[in-house]
Amino acid sequence: MKILSKSNLVPFLEGLGPEFEVNAPLYEGQDVLFGDLDSSKLATDFIGKPRLSPKEYFFPQRERLFTFKNNGGVEIEAHLNETKRVIWGIRPCDLYGLKFLDMVYLSDYVDPYYQARRSNTILLGLNCNKAEESCFCSSMGTGPFAKEAFDLLFTDLGDVFLVEIGSKAGEKLIEKQANLFTNATSKDEKQAGILEEKSKKTFKTSVDLGKVEAKIAGASSSPVWAEEAAKCILCGGCNWVCPTCYCFNIEDVMSGDKTQRVRYWDSCQLGGFTQMAAMNSRATQAERLRQRIYHKFSYNPDKYGGEIGCTGCGRCIDVCPTGINIAYILRRVANG
Amino acid sequence: MKRVLTTCEFCGCGCNFYLGVEDGKVVAIYPSVSHPISQGRLCIKGWQGHEYIHSPERLTTPLIKKGNRFREASWNEAYVMIDDRLNETKTRYGSDSIAVLSSAKCTNEENYLMQKFARACLGTNNVDHCARLCHASTVVGLATTFGSGAMTNSITEIAGAEVIFIIGSNTTEQHPLIGDQVLRAIEKGAKVIVADPRETQLAKLCSLYMMHKPGSDVALLNGMMNAIIAEGLEDKEFIAERTEGFESLKETVADYTPEKSSAITGVPEEKIIEAARIYARSKKSIIIYSMGITQHTTGVDNVMTTANLAMLTGNVGKEFTGVDPLRGQNNVQGACDVGALPNVFSGYQAVTDEKLRNKFEKAWKVNLPPQPGLTLVEMLNSALEGSLRAMYIMGENPMVSDPDINHVEKSLNALDFLVVQDIFLTETATLADVVLPGVSFAEKDGTFTSTERRIQRVRKAIEPLGDSKPDWKIITELSSRLGYRMDYNSPAGIMDEIAKLTPIYGGVSYSRLENFGLQWPCPSLDHPGTPYLHKGSFTRGLGKFSPVGYKPPAELPSHDYPFILTTGRVGFHYHTGTMTRKDWALEREYPRGYVEVNSQDAKQLGIRNGQTAKVISRRGEISLSLKSVDTIAKGVVFIPFHFAEAAANKLTAANLDPVAKIPEYKVCAVRLEKG
Repeated sequence: MKILSKSNLVPFLEGLGPEFEVNAPLYEGQDVLFGDLDSSKLATDFIGKPRLSPKEYFFPQRERLFTFKNNGGVEIEAHLNETKRVIWGIRPCDLYGLKFLDMVYLSDYVDPYYQARRSNTILLGLNCNKAEESCFCSSMGTGPFAKEAFDLLFTDLGDVFLVEIGSKAGEKLIEKQANLFTNATSKDEKQAGILEEKSKKTFKTSVDLGKVEAKIAGASSSPVWAEEAAKCILCGGCNWVCPTCYCFNIEDVMSGDKTQRVRYWDSCQLGGFTQMAAMNSRATQAERLRQRIYHKFSYNPDKYGGEIGCTGCGRCIDVCPTGINIAYILRRVANG
Repeated sequence: MKRVLTTCEFCGCGCNFYLGVEDGKVVAIYPSVSHPISQGRLCIKGWQGHEYIHSPERLTTPLIKKGNRFREASWNEAYVMIDDRLNETKTRYGSDSIAVLSSAKCTNEENYLMQKFARACLGTNNVDHCARLCHASTVVGLATTFGSGAMTNSITEIAGAEVIFIIGSNTTEQHPLIGDQVLRAIEKGAKVIVADPRETQLAKLCSLYMMHKPGSDVALLNGMMNAIIAEGLEDKEFIAERTEGFESLKETVADYTPEKSSAITGVPEEKIIEAARIYARSKKSIIIYSMGITQHTTGVDNVMTTANLAMLTGNVGKEFTGVDPLRGQNNVQGACDVGALPNVFSGYQAVTDEKLRNKFEKAWKVNLPPQPGLTLVEMLNSALEGSLRAMYIMGENPMVSDPDINHVEKSLNALDFLVVQDIFLTETATLADVVLPGVSFAEKDGTFTSTERRIQRVRKAIEPLGDSKPDWKIITELSSRLGYRMDYNSPAGIMDEIAKLTPIYGGVSYSRLENFGLQWPCPSLDHPGTPYLHKGSFTRGLGKFSPVGYKPPAELPSHDYPFILTTGRVGFHYHTGTMTRKDWALEREYPRGYVEVNSQDAKQLGIRNGQTAKVISRRGEISLSLKSVDTIAKGVVFIPFHFAEAAANKLTAANLDPVAKIPEYKVCAVRLEKG
């Protein structure tokens, strides 16, 4: 464990360039979003999470996969993004989100586009000392303090950060600028432990995951699906902001003699989802809502050794224009 | 990645988001969390609707028609040709033989310049835009009753209301982030009443739903007012202090007993009385309406009747009370505000008022025409008659959006000269002699004014595509070429001129708009803007009760045309689909048009769900797939108007409200046959 004084955070991050592109939570006006490091906008004082997870650094909203051209044969140019990147300030929920996406994109079938981005990125986590209104990571076991899936993990101790090393790649970053770090004492680690316990008490949203897991198989005919789906206006927001939603659509965009194959985020809440396979097999909005929850709490754990597809970040609650709340739905399932 | 905060280009909610830009391309969207309306949320169009910006179909160079085909041309060639032809038309037939259509999709600055171009450069008041087709009746109806034709509330007040009466608005689909406010109000215990010929999403979630016949709005509202007066629920103090004309209202509505109202509207008497009680008993009641009220030959009557109801119960002029017409386009409010209308300069200053006209003559250093110009549908009629010889259309697609398209086509073809300025080669642009490539909202600076009168910044995120130019730039260059110099360095400078000449925008400047804009009226630099209108007194002084009786729609069902056709939109597309239909996610939801028919009617017609139906009116016919539903009244069918290949407006009639000149899109007679 190391200590980095807060005043050394910017020198540390700036010192990572030019070898790495550095991304961090920034203030855009009053909103906090991940962006290219700009010390004048760096958000170090914020609570909770940037509005979008860092998922888009690995699986962008719109990604050009390859370009092809017919010139007698077919000429293909792949667009692998191998930018060497460090992302600082990733919250524990989002670290879990990336761990989950790794299972999807780097297991049975390795997605080369995801892999190129992922293998070139170093993840620097930041523990949460306080929960936001919609946060429920403590219920999902993914936060408020991370236990895995980081290269370095920062804990805000007031004037300094406690820095935990999670991998060789992370350790190397410290070694390169060793003069900025000092060794942590057991007192520092103890303080972090106290902060973690304090943070756990700040959650306003909670879900009994054990009960959800026990009850979900029998909840398919619960009235909650139709009741909540009646409010849905099909914006897709719950999918767009979810750190674990990995479904995509691909389109060929033609321009002159060149065609680009582009991959876009897709949403299982839309009627046109999976239309390339003729139709969305879930005809009603209630079925689509149920699918979203079942996918995360039933099908994903079945497939990935018990790992759930929800980080408890609460972004889908914040983004919903009509107040459809996953925590409320899960409580209904648990109590059903 | 660069991020640029801007205002959404689709509806009048005025949401803000960041455009994520990489390598000069818009590649990502981030809703603004701190914005008062968006609050970190968007609808599907906001999240997904911007793919058109980089569509390979974008116009990137001027086009000139040669024979039946377009050829690419330089800006200079295009300008020379427009200059020659418009001058020739003006010399031979006079200024009023030319008309201009401005655009509710364009910025305030561009609309201001377009009306200035028409008036100061061409010398005609023949300038109008699609507000004629959506809220012309609001502008007239609310100006008559209240003195100001705009939404009286702020959007966020809606969540604080105790009662929300929604008539003729499919709010969650067409104004999603306002629909959200209604749902929040329901969550807090508010009662919502919905009156609509179609059982909308909110109709299913509300306290009381009335399925009234299309075009029977005045009868329904008069019936409610009859019940309110009969039960003594009117606000006597408000009526005495703030209004005039109550006695004549009382006299008119006395005739509309719930029994009579029920017979006309098809709504059970008890429901009319119950709705009246719910609405009148609350002191925090808001009325929301949209195209279902305005797009009728009785559009102005309908609007004035909603205003009557609000005044009768004292539900206007205080926070959480009011009358809220929801404006459709991103900047239809602004296009009206800055004078893209044939009878007013910016700020609704009448062209017939000599003093006001003199003010503009002095500022613009030119003599201005004193007579109001032609409205949109009148322009098309005049083209066919031969008195209008040339048109300049910016960012509108009347060949899909206007009623009776066959007539529109004949009219546009009858012109000697047509210029269309757009981002795509639309159905209208294909008829033009010269096509000028404008740019999307992502490629220019400016402002849009949302439905809650909020003037907000639009910020340039990427460079114009190819040789295209910002629309404001095109207008200034063309005007200067035609002999009336326009020198502006930037849209900010145009706004400064607007502020100088427009009292309701008097305190507006770009530096004041940084923090999510200002709500007009904002008369001076130290004025904070106005969240809700008519506090203390109405804009016109006393509110004027304007009672009217029920008049049936212009074209009623008959033996040969037994169904009422009502038209509208779906949540996934915008208007004529030139933008949204180029987006994979939106187009995938609704790739083609359809006709919604009551399941019993469908059965009787022998046409099953998904089969093709031919829909025929006196003006045309289209074929499209039938959607059998239980959410529409028997005898009524609905067709969305987005789809050029099955254009609902081939069927609609150009029957106009006598004052506002808005066409009756919501009622015409059709028959259905197996396709």
